[in-house]
Amino acid sequence: MTAHGNRSKRQGRKLVGGIACVAFLLFAVLFAVIPILWAVLTSLKSPREVALYPPTFWPQHLTFENYAGAVFNNPTYLHYLFNTAVIVIAATCLCLICASHAAHAVARYRFRGSSVLMFAMFSTIMIPGVAVVIPLYMLSVAVGIYDTVAVLILVYGAWLTPTLVWLLRGFVIVIPNELEEAGRIDGHSRLGVFYRITLPLMKPGLLAGAVLIFANIWNEFLLGYSLVQSETARVIQVGIYANLTEVGVQWGRLTAAALVAMLPVLIVYAFLQKAFVQGLSAGAVKG
Amino acid sequence: MAISEADGTQELLRIDRPMGWRAAAFPYLMFAPAFLLIAAVSFIPIAYAIVQSFFRSNTLALGRFVGLDNYRDFLFTLDGVATLEHSLIFVAGTVLIAVPFGFALALLLNRPLPLRGLLRTILITPWLVSNLVGALLWAWIGNPQYGLVPYLLEWLGLSMPNIITDPGAAMASVIVASVWASTPLVMVFVLAALQSVPGDLTEAARIDGASVWRRFRKITLPLVRNTTMMAVVLTSLHAFKSVEIILVMTSGGPNGATETMATKVFHEAFTLLRIGVGSAGAVMIFLLNLMFTMAFVRVLRTEHGA
Repeated sequence: MTAHGNRSKRQGRKLVGGIACVAFLLFAVLFAVIPILWAVLTSLKSPREVALYPPTFWPQHLTFENYAGAVFNNPTYLHYLFNTAVIVIAATCLCLICASHAAHAVARYRFRGSSVLMFAMFSTIMIPGVAVVIPLYMLSVAVGIYDTVAVLILVYGAWLTPTLVWLLRGFVIVIPNELEEAGRIDGHSRLGVFYRITLPLMKPGLLAGAVLIFANIWNEFLLGYSLVQSETARVIQVGIYANLTEVGVQWGRLTAAALVAMLPVLIVYAFLQKAFVQGLSAGAVKG
Repeated sequence: MAISEADGTQELLRIDRPMGWRAAAFPYLMFAPAFLLIAAVSFIPIAYAIVQSFFRSNTLALGRFVGLDNYRDFLFTLDGVATLEHSLIFVAGTVLIAVPFGFALALLLNRPLPLRGLLRTILITPWLVSNLVGALLWAWIGNPQYGLVPYLLEWLGLSMPNIITDPGAAMASVIVASVWASTPLVMVFVLAALQSVPGDLTEAARIDGASVWRRFRKITLPLVRNTTMMAVVLTSLHAFKSVEIILVMTSGGPNGATETMATKVFHEAFTLLRIGVGSAGAVMIFLLNLMFTMAFVRVLRTEHGA
């Protein structure tokens, strides 16, 4: 009898625990998605409906006028999107090119001063962006690239390079030395061996790194705000902020613009999720 | 820190060939582009920021040397001590909520659950949203005039303090947005660590009669502790330097109640154009960051040594 009582008690506790877990997960899911879903609903309402209180949940009349007005028929917005795409692609290439070469050097050679150079490089990961925006602003004015796409490509390209060197180093280390040796014996130069043998084998790391850089740069605001002033070179996050600070914020349009700006990262992540997670964990484990 | 002493294989390429200048120069040349890029964008600016913080520079020129005046002005004349306090509240609030929350989610997702993949994807989503857009979403959902949250609370019979005019509510609202943005990182980190905990270890302990809590404390926790500490550090550093959330939701208000050190540096430099004072604040943020990181590295080292 007592044994039976104990068991049902245990089962009862298990049930309560299970319900608590489900409730907790439900809360977490709602917390994560409700701000986004609410923005989606807002973006599909007419300006009149957005300003209603109490708010309506489902749009009374589904309308895409916010998307048309804020995004598709808005050349400025499309220009910001274009700028951001160009900057992200160029900066990603710059970062990957620099980081892959450096990763090969630090993984394969112990040269004079290498540990000091590496320590210096990795310590920059700790420098917060807000600490360098002012001097970067002044330097870019002094060099004459303030307020151009070029300054953002350069700065963004450098931003994640230390992280990428760290990540890619893990991928170079596990490539057997014999492969590169064989390449040398076949008569290729050191650089030739790097391009022909090492670089192709680093591909998973390069892919994971590219996703990481893409998401970070696409979402960056502070540098984009402080190094560019005109609309010609403005990036998307700054464009959205500019809309927010205007008088008489139109929330329907603003949420539409924000949601469209979110999409590229979500899409890239959705497609490359597997490669991203595998690449990152592989790099972390080997590094 | 960076080079492990164990990769002795790396010496091979060098040893079995006579060293010409080309061979000697090769690693430097490979390293140079990355290093120069970082020098231009990190070393030179941080050095310049330190120099600037000793000068009264209002425009693009350096101006007059003023010693530590900028530091004094930032901290005392311009209420910098209060902003440091706000930074600490913001960081502590974010870390104390996001870390246990993300940790608990990782523990749940590590178990066989229906729809686990979907749940993980949904819970990661806030991580992919920029802080700026995330803050905007929260500003809208909590909007005192038209927002969903005030309405729901009113419907429940509660009244929500106005997040734009009430200092406490303003701070709470920016912390909520920051927790929203930070939780996924903690979850992903801890989940990755949990998945490396061997299942037969906990299984053996279970057969030996160890309770759930005991198994968690004696086996799981020690194995994921370093990763969790890492997540704490990354979350803190991120919250400490974050400007977007506060800029969008409260702009430091009401009456400076949510102005952190980072947003103050931003305002000093880009709104008030007091470059020297802004640089002094920036240098202090950098130093605090450095001290925090070094303390953390120390803690990790002593733990490993023990």
